[in-house]
Amino acid sequence: MIRQLRRPDFWTVVTGVILVVLVVLLLIPIIRVLLLSFVDADTLKWTLGNYVEVFTRNFYLKGLKNTLFVGFLGTLGACMLGIPLAFFTARFHLWGRAWISTLAILVLVSPPFIGAYAWIMMLGSNGFITNFFGRIGIETPTIYGAHGIVLVFTLKFFPFVFLMTQTALMAVNKSFEDAAENLGCTPLQRFTKITLPLVFPAISTGAIICFVLSIADFGTPAILGRGFRTLSTIAFSAYRSELGGVPTMAVTVSMIMIAISMLALLAQRRILAKRRYASSLTNLPVKTHLTGWRNVAVHGFCHGVVLIAMLPSLVVVYTSFLKTNGPVFVGGYGLESYGRIWRTAPEAIANSFLFATAAVVLITAFSALISYVIVRRETTASGAIDFMMMVPYLIPGVVMAIGFVTTFRSGFFGGIGAAWLLVMLYFIRRLPYGVRSTTSSLRQVKPSMEEAAINLGAPPLTAFLKVTVPLILPGLIVGSLMGFITAINELSGTLILYDAGSITMPVSIYLAVLDGEFGLAAAHSTVLLLCTGVCVYFVFRFTENRNSAFL
Amino acid sequence: MASVEIKGIRKLYGDVVALSDINISIPSGSFFTLLGPSGCGKTTLLRTIAGFHDQNAGRIEVDGKSIEGLPAYRRDVGMVFQDYAIFPHISVRDNVAFGLRQRKVLASDISKRVADVLEVVQLGAFADRMPHELSGGQQQRVGLARAVVIRPKVLLMDEPLSNLDARLRVDLRAELRRIQRDLGITTVYVTHDQEEALAMSDTVCVMHQGVIQQAASPLDIYLRPENRFVATFVGACNFMSLSKEGGQFSLKSSGARVFDAAGFNATEIACAVRPETLRVASGHVTPSPEEIAIPAKILDVSFIGREMEVLTITDGGEQLKSLARPDPAIIELANGSSVTVLVKRDDLAFFEATEVGRRVG
Ligand SMILES: Nc1ncnc2c1ncn2[C@@H]1O[C@H](COP(=O)(O)OP(=O)(O)OP(=O)(O)O)[C@@H](O)[C@H]1O
Ligand SMILES: [Mg+2]
Repeated sequence: MIRQLRRPDFWTVVTGVILVVLVVLLLIPIIRVLLLSFVDADTLKWTLGNYVEVFTRNFYLKGLKNTLFVGFLGTLGACMLGIPLAFFTARFHLWGRAWISTLAILVLVSPPFIGAYAWIMMLGSNGFITNFFGRIGIETPTIYGAHGIVLVFTLKFFPFVFLMTQTALMAVNKSFEDAAENLGCTPLQRFTKITLPLVFPAISTGAIICFVLSIADFGTPAILGRGFRTLSTIAFSAYRSELGGVPTMAVTVSMIMIAISMLALLAQRRILAKRRYASSLTNLPVKTHLTGWRNVAVHGFCHGVVLIAMLPSLVVVYTSFLKTNGPVFVGGYGLESYGRIWRTAPEAIANSFLFATAAVVLITAFSALISYVIVRRETTASGAIDFMMMVPYLIPGVVMAIGFVTTFRSGFFGGIGAAWLLVMLYFIRRLPYGVRSTTSSLRQVKPSMEEAAINLGAPPLTAFLKVTVPLILPGLIVGSLMGFITAINELSGTLILYDAGSITMPVSIYLAVLDGEFGLAAAHSTVLLLCTGVCVYFVFRFTENRNSAFL
Repeated sequence: MASVEIKGIRKLYGDVVALSDINISIPSGSFFTLLGPSGCGKTTLLRTIAGFHDQNAGRIEVDGKSIEGLPAYRRDVGMVFQDYAIFPHISVRDNVAFGLRQRKVLASDISKRVADVLEVVQLGAFADRMPHELSGGQQQRVGLARAVVIRPKVLLMDEPLSNLDARLRVDLRAELRRIQRDLGITTVYVTHDQEEALAMSDTVCVMHQGVIQQAASPLDIYLRPENRFVATFVGACNFMSLSKEGGQFSLKSSGARVFDAAGFNATEIACAVRPETLRVASGHVTPSPEEIAIPAKILDVSFIGREMEVLTITDGGEQLKSLARPDPAIIELANGSSVTVLVKRDDLAFFEATEVGRRVG
């Protein structure tokens, strides 16, 4: 009697449930979107016409070019800030190093679209910096258009490059550098020939994240673009104009965005495949003291970068306390803006917390189960789940939301309310944060822990709840907090799915900015920043390696 | 207490045969040890009994009843893990009570049984400590207490002493055995330390590459190994080459006829002898009738306290190691001195010359 298959047990059932959830909430919507891009909007027949249109019409080609342009330059800018910052903080004794990291992390998690409109308040046509220089007769460059978007991307995404590179730099075995010096390299040669190549995998991972996020970003080009359109704003407005009809052009454009992200990721994988360095931590790098003008310059650079990157958030908080009369700032300070968000849109605040909390409850439960299946079960199914956890990173919110609309607003699932769709959207888009953090926690727990519990008579679920969950709790909490931060700040998908009863804070902010209601937007943003800050504080409490918790 | 029958167990990991046709019978209350080199399948067999994975073939019976259909959490088989697997987030007391709570034992009984078993393993004063406040040896005893407090039918231990230092290992060895005897639990013990196996067990079962080589009492394993692998793995062996004339084998080094067997070539038979049965005498010695004399030269003598280890080389270039009571007359000999190595005919063992060749005389 030869039995090849494992006896089905509790975890087999769990694996099945997870697969069903992922297929329904992730794969079907994406496949629906993919299929839709091959459908003719009028005749509903299969066609390649949509792609032909995208690749021939100047409007779309320009959008593609613009997207790549701001994507590349934003990534480049992020690298140019992030790499030196990482090197300086990893290799020199810096005053306020923890402060720099903390600010970088705050920049990373602050609501993504705040940057864009805060810069408008500073450098827009009526911005205070513009006005200040205008009064003394100097014309400042406008923030609108491509360079503004690049600036915001650079300042928004550099923390990814910074934190990843810094982590890698701190793990580079110093012996390599010593050996290079011993073989006659100057410090600069040593850096370019040894250190930089060794941390290249980390840099490129950080850069790829910047690139993928830049490509997918909707809020920044929507607010700052004016005439400058990127694929995500084109997809969104195409969706809006096709409303009621079949959103074929919106999804075709979205597919192009996904393709770009996937190509970038594959290219990076290919490059990295040939560069695998086992790192051993036997000889940790040491930090040196700088003196004189170098010391001043390095301190100036590091603190300058994180402060400028934090500027939007500070401006937003400051603005929220300015006295307003309707959309107009009337001078002096006051709480009118808070009063107005409380009177006009208390449901936005309530909804944001409600949806994000509901999503995070699901994220927490599923993260724990999924990470167990991924780490402890080596089956084809668990491999597939592991792979699917990569997908949400690559799919822009606009695409996921259109997939939800086409899948759940009609047919079999028809009639699911917007609120539920939003919770599901946040859940599936932010699930990977929870899973990743929980998975790395679980890898630290020896399997014999659960086996001991089972051996003592605990059924699998009991063993999981009584032994595994308490042991992975820190990772689970950190992952859930990250899920919460990113869920409560979600804009692009929400804009497509929300209705009058399910408006959220990011949507309110977006609408307020479009209406020029900066005080209102600032008050909302401050509330968001506040709860993001509280979450970050708790992440710090529960994690040993602060950098990696946020990546 | 329960007897354990393991019948025809086979376990594959992909193409790797981890266990092949394992048949074992363990009487109730006895201490049964699995001994073998790393990777021979000891842990795999233990985990099969505990039910952590399914075997590809074969069955396991406890007290005559098959436990095939039972999932791991209902097998009533206690296990002490190699890394202890003490739950780090709960106290010693809660660790030990874990299995009792799963069995819905009354709270009052739980506290009594936990207190009792902690006394047995001499950890009564440590009940409220957290695991990280214990030493390795103490954690190991918590693991043991936790496994035995549920009064399992069978107790499994996977190299429970391997993470401890040598001194503690010897102390705990005796303690483990005492506790096992007092409780009378049928025990399957895994180790790759032969001394541990011989010292503790009722039965030692030597495994190699997923196959059982011999299961017997410690004395039989040592004195009457059934195959060449057992002879070399348990205790040390000298091997001497043979030459064959007619149907008769003689030692190359002395010419003495030692073995009659027509069916083998000289290279197919290995002649083994334990170092402690060799006697080294200086100069030329005439052997008694039951002894064989092998002329040799001293290569190295090391005095290691209780014993001396004498390495000699025969005229044919074979090295022989002898282990004996220290003898100043030998220790003082210069390297290269002529000696006679004496061996009793009865102490010679003959195996087919393959790695697991069976004993032929
Ligand atoms: N999960 C697994 N997947 C594949 N092969 C495995 C697995 N576990 C064990 N093996 C293989 O099965 C064989 C037996 O392994 P096992 O762990 O039982 O050895 P062992 O006798 O306990 O060794 P040790 O003394 O080192 O603990 C080995 O060849 C091992 O490589
Ligand atoms: Mg083992």
